[in-house]
Amino acid sequence: MCNENEQDLILASQSGDLAALDALVRRHQGRVYGFAMRMCRNVEDAKDILQETFLGMVRSIREFRQESKFTTWLYRIASNACLKKHRRGVFDPTPEQELSLDALMPRPDSDGRRPEIADWSEDAERALLNGELTGRMEAAIDKLPREYKIVLLLRDVEGFSAEETAEMLKLSVPAVKSRLHRARVFVRKELADYFQEKQAERA
Amino acid sequence: MRGNTGAEPQGKDVPVNCRELFERLSEFVDGELSQEICEEIRKHMEGCDPCVNFAKTLKSTADLCRRLPSQTMPPEVAGELHMLLSKHLRQSR
Repeated sequence: MCNENEQDLILASQSGDLAALDALVRRHQGRVYGFAMRMCRNVEDAKDILQETFLGMVRSIREFRQESKFTTWLYRIASNACLKKHRRGVFDPTPEQELSLDALMPRPDSDGRRPEIADWSEDAERALLNGELTGRMEAAIDKLPREYKIVLLLRDVEGFSAEETAEMLKLSVPAVKSRLHRARVFVRKELADYFQEKQAERA
Repeated sequence: MRGNTGAEPQGKDVPVNCRELFERLSEFVDGELSQEICEEIRKHMEGCDPCVNFAKTLKSTADLCRRLPSQTMPPEVAGELHMLLSKHLRQSR
């Protein structure tokens, strides 16, 4: 059943085939769990989100009309579950807050000289294999206010398009792009600090 | 990188449109801008190393996000999920 085409699994699930429904859940459960874990950073809350997402899927699979991709539809349920949990205040490491581009933009020094921006993109490639960088990245993403974090996770970690993300979060595409840019600039700054520290250690 | 936001001190040799470019760099690295705007950005970057390096490292940030290792779901979490779903399906028959 697991090797079946997703379309067939969806149609069979909609007709009440429990084995197909089970295969559909198993196919997506790991990815949804990863997304929930990154949103809330705690196994109990991630478990609740996972359960709420797939209960929602099972309850409403017959209503899925294939007007959007199945994963987009499923992640809409998962995103709602995450945001609902945030609103309830069950986990809330990052209160709502605006990320200002002006505050994130590198500034000239007091003499008006252009800021020094190091190019660490090649170091990043090498450091990717290093668990420390992964930890720094996860920590940086964690610091993002939730409405920026969810957009960065959906776009850059999960790989959904701006249009799909907008559909899931009921936002406009420009709003998704604006939040993504601010979130990336924020995480980039954290990584820049990391590479600066590494360079200082080497010096 | 400094723009024309007015409140900032005016420095020497600072391009006036760094701020405007800064706002659109994600769209630029994602290839979402028109050819005309991309050309304008490239022209600006020919004389602006900070913008070049910022764009490179911003792209690198997005690439690193895409390559973060996946999270492993504990088997007991999967087990509980399937028990819950089975119970729900039995009750809804």
